[in-house]
Amino acid sequence: MRLKIVLNLYKFKVKSFFGAFRASKANLALLLVYVFSLLPSAFGFSIMIVNAVNQGGVNVETYIETLAAILSLLTAFILFLTFRGYTVFEHEQNLIFTSPVKPMEFLVASILADLTSILVFIYPLFAIYALVVSWLNLPLSSAALILSALLIFIFFIFLLKASLSIIMSFHRNLSAKIAVSALILLLLFPSISLALNLPLKYVLLPYPSTFLAKILVGEIYGAGLQTLDLLGLSLYFLLLAAIFIILSKENFFPLTTRVPFVSPFDASMRMQALKMEKSIKTFSRMGMFLTLNLESKSLLAFLMKKEFIRMVREGSLFAVIFMYIVVSFVVIVSGAFSPQEALFLTFFLGVYSLIVPLMLIANWRVSDFENLWVPITSGANIRMIIRALLYDFILVSSGIPAAIILVVSAIYGINPLMALLLVASSSIVSCPVNLYVTIKFLTRKSRSLSSALAGWASMLLSALLLTPTYSLIALSQYLNLGETICSLFAAIILLYSALIMKILSAKIERNAVNIEM
Amino acid sequence: MTPIIEMVDVWKSYDGVQALRGLNLQVQRGEIFGLIGPNGAGKTTTLKIIVGLLKMDRGVVRVNGVDISVEPYEYKRIIGYVPESVSLPDYLTVEEFLIYSGKIREVPDEKIRERMNYFIDLFELREKRGALIVSLSRGMRQKVAIASALIHDPYLLILDEPFIGIDPMGQHVLKELFNERVKDGKTIFISTHMLDTAERLCNRVAIIYRGQNIASGDLGDLKQISRSGENATLEEVFLKLTEEAGEQPIEETAERGRRFLGFLGRRRK
Repeated sequence: MRLKIVLNLYKFKVKSFFGAFRASKANLALLLVYVFSLLPSAFGFSIMIVNAVNQGGVNVETYIETLAAILSLLTAFILFLTFRGYTVFEHEQNLIFTSPVKPMEFLVASILADLTSILVFIYPLFAIYALVVSWLNLPLSSAALILSALLIFIFFIFLLKASLSIIMSFHRNLSAKIAVSALILLLLFPSISLALNLPLKYVLLPYPSTFLAKILVGEIYGAGLQTLDLLGLSLYFLLLAAIFIILSKENFFPLTTRVPFVSPFDASMRMQALKMEKSIKTFSRMGMFLTLNLESKSLLAFLMKKEFIRMVREGSLFAVIFMYIVVSFVVIVSGAFSPQEALFLTFFLGVYSLIVPLMLIANWRVSDFENLWVPITSGANIRMIIRALLYDFILVSSGIPAAIILVVSAIYGINPLMALLLVASSSIVSCPVNLYVTIKFLTRKSRSLSSALAGWASMLLSALLLTPTYSLIALSQYLNLGETICSLFAAIILLYSALIMKILSAKIERNAVNIEM
Repeated sequence: MTPIIEMVDVWKSYDGVQALRGLNLQVQRGEIFGLIGPNGAGKTTTLKIIVGLLKMDRGVVRVNGVDISVEPYEYKRIIGYVPESVSLPDYLTVEEFLIYSGKIREVPDEKIRERMNYFIDLFELREKRGALIVSLSRGMRQKVAIASALIHDPYLLILDEPFIGIDPMGQHVLKELFNERVKDGKTIFISTHMLDTAERLCNRVAIIYRGQNIASGDLGDLKQISRSGENATLEEVFLKLTEEAGEQPIEETAERGRRFLGFLGRRRK
């Protein structure tokens, strides 16, 4: 193995991964915001652990069991990722695999680069470790043991993923998939048995996740040195390292699976378009029942149908439906479903109508913005195109929650008026706000800015403009006002929302005809 | 007769780059006009300004005698445009996209159906008629984009590198189509790197370099201006002119282009 090549490959991979941050200062700022935003959580979690330990009187076995279950779930997820075989990016296939780089050099560089890249996301783990160790005054031996166990487990996970992916690349048959599925099932079986009330527990099984959980919980609760558990974990690691060394001598390059390059916070159109292309291939099968033909009576109806087809075939519509189902389900299972709960759910859905336009318009930006050259160069009525787009966004973002609210209200006999009003107002205001901000961000000067910034600006502006709506609805609920006053409030809110939409629509149309591509 | 396209002293800069520096250009009616030049010369910028995808910083562009700064929409009714990197709505089928292209141009339904069927046959897209655009190869996407640009039977067809990605048979069909349209009095304006194709296909070409028109005319004119021999090819003329232009300050190159345009104008009178 040539270390210089490994080092060069490592540098190349890390630079590729963090490419989006290097491309713009806005993306770098986003990364810093993300990194620092995790620190308070790490701090809070550390306080929670220290308090739990200091209070005492807890069942250590329960903690081990829970932690082992979480770690097993993580391991099972890693195993699930290996189904596709060893995955590489297009530029790696074209550039690295066509040069005299050996598989082991590539694998070692990849593991080290992945470890470096993932540190940005798992660093709070080490912050928690440092805080807990210092606040609990743990002896040096315990601190060292915990750190060693953590590092061994992380390397174990990486080696497991690499080795199993290579094996799956060589054996792309059903029996290999069944074997990995069995392994996943084995890892999750204690969790399943818990639900089935079976006596099988993680603490009784020699899983790597159990060893790590025993070391962490045991050392923190001062149960003495967990040397045997560390030995067990190390044995797993050594076994996998041996398998990895053997496999890394095989030429698996021609068997790798190409995947789109992913760099976090990469808002480039190319990157997003790649993801969208995949999404269209998946969802279009479900959307082929709708066709765009010559039958539409008016141009507006034709354009609205075209936009609706886009939302169906690229998966936006399914994503919205799925999100509302999940939100409803979470609210339903989180408490005994009573009329009060139902009322809460209806208002909760109304608040979500603020997020849906953001999602819909972000997808439009990715899948259709680049296609605007067609209407712009054809002398088409851009105003009509924008209007069709806006009407579709409002219909989808209000129609789905409104349907759920009506069903829930009918079942529980509650008045849906104010909840429906909240949904309608949120959609009518936030759809044009999001579209306006998105189009503003699409001018040549600000196109390189992250789409997340556009999202934040849209949410902020929508929330500000919806303040009168929220205030009137809250007032009507808090004071338990009669139907006449509520109807008056409803009329005011709808008029206000329509006015905002009219003003913003005019601004959007003015900006849209001046888009440069 | 007024030229179909006339650009006078057009300037454009973006992303910190001066893309056009006082470009002057005339495209006559009923000709195949080629715009050639090295990478970054300003060819795509020129085309994008004409079709309204970019706004010029200063200058005048007239299409069919209409100043596009004064009337920026109506003139597009006679234009069909195909960009270099074709982005199409991946979520539509070939047929749906052609219907969409026709509908937004307010072409009557019968005409859309008739022309759609004609171009689907011409470009051998029959089997892909109901296929999603996402599933098409690059060449097929290019054919679909060209069909969509022709769905309203435009008087002026503007194409940026139209032959890239298209197979030899498809290229042949396209050239035949261009020649037929020119016989009908329509105009084709193409930007291309393929000098041998430009030499055989175009009636006139303009060589654009550093955002300026350094020479334009038919091959004979260009040989004369470059002082090349009788047997010189367009490639040889192009290389000689761009090499000479590269050695001169930009202002001098522009002056030379202006003098040549004046010379051409006097000769035509």
